Amino acid sequence: MSHSDCPETAVPGRNEQQARRLFLQQLSAASVAAWGGAAPRLLTAQDGLDKAPQATADSCIVLWMAGGMAAPETFDPKRYHPFEVGTPVEKVMSTFRSIDTAVDNIKICEGLEEIGQVLDRGTLIRSHVLPDLGSILHSRHQYHWHTGYVPPQTVAAPHIGAWMSRVLGPRNPVIPAFINIGQRLEGIGENEEIKAFTQAGFFGSDHGPMNLPFPEEAARAVKPPRGMDPMRFSKREKLYKELLKRTDASEFRQDSLLRSLENAHRLLGSADREAFDISREPQESFDRYNTGRFGQGCLLARRLVEAGARYVEVTTEYIPFVHWDTHANGHETVDRLHHEIDRPIATLIRDLESRGLLDRTLVVLASEFSRDMIIEGVPGSSAKDQATAPTDVLRELKHYGMHRHFTGASCVLMFGGGIKRGFLYGETAPERPCIAIQKPISVRDLHATIFTAMGISPATSFEVERRPFYATEDGKGQAARELFA
Amino acid sequence: MPSSTLATALGCFLGCWLFGCTAYAVPNAPLDFTHEIVPLLRKHCAKCHTGARKQGGFSFDTRRSLIQGGESGVAVQAGDSSNSPLVERITAQDPDLQMPPEGPRLTDAEVGLIRRWIDSGLPWDDGFAFAKSNYEAPLRPREVELPAARLGRDHPIDRLVDAHPNQPAPRSGISDREFARRVSLDLTGLLPTPEQLREFLKNPPQTRRQQLIDDLLNNSIAYADHWLTFWNDLLRNDYTGTGFITGGRKQITSWLHASLVANKPYDAMVRELISPTPDSEGFIQGIRWRGEVSASQTNEVQFAQSISQALLGINLKCASCHDSFIDRWKLQDAYGLAAIYADAPLPIFRCDKPTGEVAQPSWLFPELGQVDPQAPKPERLRQLANLLTHPQNGRLSRSIVNRLWHRLMGLGLVHPVDALNTEPRDSNLLDYLAWDFSQHGYDLKHTLRLIASSATYQQQIPAESSPDGENWQDLSPIPRRMTAEQFVDAVWQLTGSHPAKADAVVARRTVSGGAGPKTPARWIWTTDQKQAASPGGETATFEVTFNLPVVPEDSAVALTCDNDYVLIVNGRRVAADGNWETVEVVSLADSLRAGDNTLRVVAKNGGEGPNPAGLLLVGRIRIPDRPTITLATGPDWRWTRQIPDGEGTFPAEPKDWLPAIALAEPTVWSSRIGDGPSQLLEDALDPHRARVRAALVKSDELMRALGRPNRDQIVTSRPTQFTTLEALELANGDALKAMLEAGAQRLANRFAERPAELVDLLYTFGTSHPPSDQTREAALRFLGKTPQASDVEDLLWSLVLQPEFLHVR
Repeated sequence: MSHSDCPETAVPGRNEQQARRLFLQQLSAASVAAWGGAAPRLLTAQDGLDKAPQATADSCIVLWMAGGMAAPETFDPKRYHPFEVGTPVEKVMSTFRSIDTAVDNIKICEGLEEIGQVLDRGTLIRSHVLPDLGSILHSRHQYHWHTGYVPPQTVAAPHIGAWMSRVLGPRNPVIPAFINIGQRLEGIGENEEIKAFTQAGFFGSDHGPMNLPFPEEAARAVKPPRGMDPMRFSKREKLYKELLKRTDASEFRQDSLLRSLENAHRLLGSADREAFDISREPQESFDRYNTGRFGQGCLLARRLVEAGARYVEVTTEYIPFVHWDTHANGHETVDRLHHEIDRPIATLIRDLESRGLLDRTLVVLASEFSRDMIIEGVPGSSAKDQATAPTDVLRELKHYGMHRHFTGASCVLMFGGGIKRGFLYGETAPERPCIAIQKPISVRDLHATIFTAMGISPATSFEVERRPFYATEDGKGQAARELFA
Repeated sequence: MPSSTLATALGCFLGCWLFGCTAYAVPNAPLDFTHEIVPLLRKHCAKCHTGARKQGGFSFDTRRSLIQGGESGVAVQAGDSSNSPLVERITAQDPDLQMPPEGPRLTDAEVGLIRRWIDSGLPWDDGFAFAKSNYEAPLRPREVELPAARLGRDHPIDRLVDAHPNQPAPRSGISDREFARRVSLDLTGLLPTPEQLREFLKNPPQTRRQQLIDDLLNNSIAYADHWLTFWNDLLRNDYTGTGFITGGRKQITSWLHASLVANKPYDAMVRELISPTPDSEGFIQGIRWRGEVSASQTNEVQFAQSISQALLGINLKCASCHDSFIDRWKLQDAYGLAAIYADAPLPIFRCDKPTGEVAQPSWLFPELGQVDPQAPKPERLRQLANLLTHPQNGRLSRSIVNRLWHRLMGLGLVHPVDALNTEPRDSNLLDYLAWDFSQHGYDLKHTLRLIASSATYQQQIPAESSPDGENWQDLSPIPRRMTAEQFVDAVWQLTGSHPAKADAVVARRTVSGGAGPKTPARWIWTTDQKQAASPGGETATFEVTFNLPVVPEDSAVALTCDNDYVLIVNGRRVAADGNWETVEVVSLADSLRAGDNTLRVVAKNGGEGPNPAGLLLVGRIRIPDRPTITLATGPDWRWTRQIPDGEGTFPAEPKDWLPAIALAEPTVWSSRIGDGPSQLLEDALDPHRARVRAALVKSDELMRALGRPNRDQIVTSRPTQFTTLEALELANGDALKAMLEAGAQRLANRFAERPAELVDLLYTFGTSHPPSDQTREAALRFLGKTPQASDVEDLLWSLVLQPEFLHVR
């Protein structure tokens, strides 16, 4: 029915119906987004720089080693020295022996044997270089790594998961595009700093993360609320719809509400939601992953990617002075962390491969910086020494480990999603300072590589407050072409 | 029928959802204007029909010009591609007619997109234009002569709106009930209670609306609590957030709230923000991060960016890195403003690299005067404050009245509201409001009153419109979503589930000159202590019993004891404390019942030797349409040496009950406690004074999902759309569930045998209308004769998620 068909003297009720129909017609999501708005607008560059590259991956999993994973204790082993009281600390370059891997020229630290056996499926980068920023702080460096921008910013910079949600959208309309596993946002210290980047920024909350801090409880996030059985839940939904039908003038701007509720109920009522329930995993497989919350998070990530998730991040969880944030007693802590990450990560890669998903799933392991036993930042840095057990000579076990924030080089693993297999990228100096001496790659270019694999141009920009804001800083990120198969 | 598949798909999918078919079709992907349409128009049409080039008089620089058409008439019919000549032209085979006249034709897919775009009403992104205008916003205020009144509409705003070109005929006015809800939510952020509604409807029709506007604005605490959200967003003030951890950020909450309570003139507020006291300095200090920050985010540059954005609607963020590409502001301008705040000479950086120059303190509009660059910083700030509030600085007034208009009408007269350099939708109206505001002493409430009392504000909101920002000419109000805070407050109003304590440090008591109400309660104990004090460790149980005709609507007690107490109500331990210098307010909402009630306090004197001991309690129980019942310790209480167990049960019924003794000389406590309990209780039972409001607590998962921003940056627009993650949070999140559950339990107790009254109450409270017969019938069928708490909870959920509840309309 068009405007011109509408007689001026319509029978009562008809006008209303018509208005309603027209209203619904006009309410395409785009017009609603514009309405009232500060919604950012996608810009199109004149020179075609932002032309979307051919995607080599559909999904992305980031395994976040929160707190600063020491490269020499994990994927870039240096000269090993066992713990001996009286050893001068400068003699110790690694506190773990190195072991062989499935790739001839790559050795990594003992404790990571299983990951070593799947390295032939991916690329190891040893030359990821982070800035010092004057004072090396987990909160700022994590913000930088997750948004591509050093805080503070004049507008709220979106997390890379939000970029993927905004530009690519969900793969399966039922599964939220950006899922964040393992990080609590309350009660862990520096909460506000973590929240500052765990968000969609100016893209708005629909592109924000679905936070699942406890993988075991993830199923609850997509189930009827606590204490409500399915019967009552569907009864409630029925009542809602009945009241909706019976309310006068209820057509009023209900589209985005109803669409959202519909999506929510679709998820809450769909078979896909089983992906969130790791207790449905066969016991043997569950056990293979289950080294704790991180391992369970890897399992959850695999299940979600299978169900059609776009971007999933699994973190070992950032808590000041806990996990990878080893300001003292690094060796013992990292020994435990090896155990926590080794089998689940290897299992994740193998499972994705055996399900035929690895080719189109990009898995990235990274951390906000590395660590060193002596050097804070890089040589010449004015950053303050943050070790809590500083010493020149090893006296106690708590002195043994990498306790300073080191930004000169850190390790990144990349698997699947079009990335080379069995490949080593970059190199660090054999002696202190172990800075990158070959092919340094910045956060900006690493993000450009990740975005390119996902089919997003690093020069993609959105207009916010009438200014362009780019997927990578100034739109200048350059993907490391050499990393692609 | 139009060929639109979108409308059909959307209709079908809503239909499916409404009528519960199980197989869901994935809705058609929404049309993305900028992604799909803009490149296409650029490619095929922009060469001849944008900017200075208007072949055939036809330009689609803006949505407005597109719809206007050209020399050959209208080109597009929004919503109807089959009647849009544009489609004929792009598909025509006739070389004289076809568009584009040369170059490649549009592919079928491209034509399909254009058709879909037209059929879906020509969605256009806010603020987008193919050619940017050269509009420069005026600086000085302008007195506007009011046009003649038409149709007897005499209000200044209505006269201006009626004279607005292309303004549609005024819509019918809203009903009194609709008005009460809209204006209460707008001015105080609260739903009108059923009693307030009743009172309002009893007032004389000619004056009741004006009366209500005044009453709401005069409720200074509710007003301040509500508008705090707006100001916190604008001034990026929060109770938690980045920066606080290292002392790099300072709240202005107490100052801000007190300013709102006192309705401080806006020019005075601005002066105190710019030339601050310790209480208000947090705004210009900004956020200091540890470590190095980019040159465009030093605290000095933050200062320049924040004051220009929040107070003047000027975006200096471009210009704080390099000369702006989008407006006239230069790097020098941004650094000049920043240098006013600098403690030392401020070197200028371009794109994070030093230029070798040092900034000269200066402000943006030297035509009004300039700061003295040689003056010390506090003096420079004082001068800047005076320049900002200079009577000839019309930007200050325009910016704030535009923001107020935005809040009440849904769309700014200049939109987006932070970009005052955009051409106003009606400059006469904007200039009038700004002029009028400054003429009325920068009184924020004056402008709110002016807007709320206009027929324009009080008209029905069109449901069939889809506004698109600056191209939207209609000045009528548009529908608005409740903010996160409004929603949570409204749910708390219905359920009484508000938290006990606010995070914001604000004074929410209006000082009323004389002392507060005298407490009717007396300090009591087992013996009068004139001669001998109570032995250390003496323990007794004090008790009072009373009968209630129904479960009360609201009840609380305030109490303290020297030294220790446990309060047990009807067998439930509800509170305990061991510090006599603090008075606790305890809600009894979940503990009282119809019939006999017993309140017991196990009280214990501390210390080793004899020392004073006493118990003081005052309580209030509210039952609708009945006088309030007061509970107060006094000689009508009784006591026993027996101590009940944790559930308040005595091992054996005590035989030693004695009347409590009201102490003759409680001066030992009164100097510290005074009338504290009564005062606290007044607060606890006054819904406008003491119920904690959502704006006063830290953001949580629920409020974040509903769009409450992190206030690390200035964010002055809240989301207008609902999102899936938000719906998930509402459908199964713990926070909302807990509020509804607690409220449902209370309501189920209160309305055990009266489900019809419950349904009427919830609807009247939630929507300001009694339910329609069909709604009532459906709700009652669901509740049954004796509603279970779980059913009440589900009804509550179904109500608070109704579109009519979630919107201000």
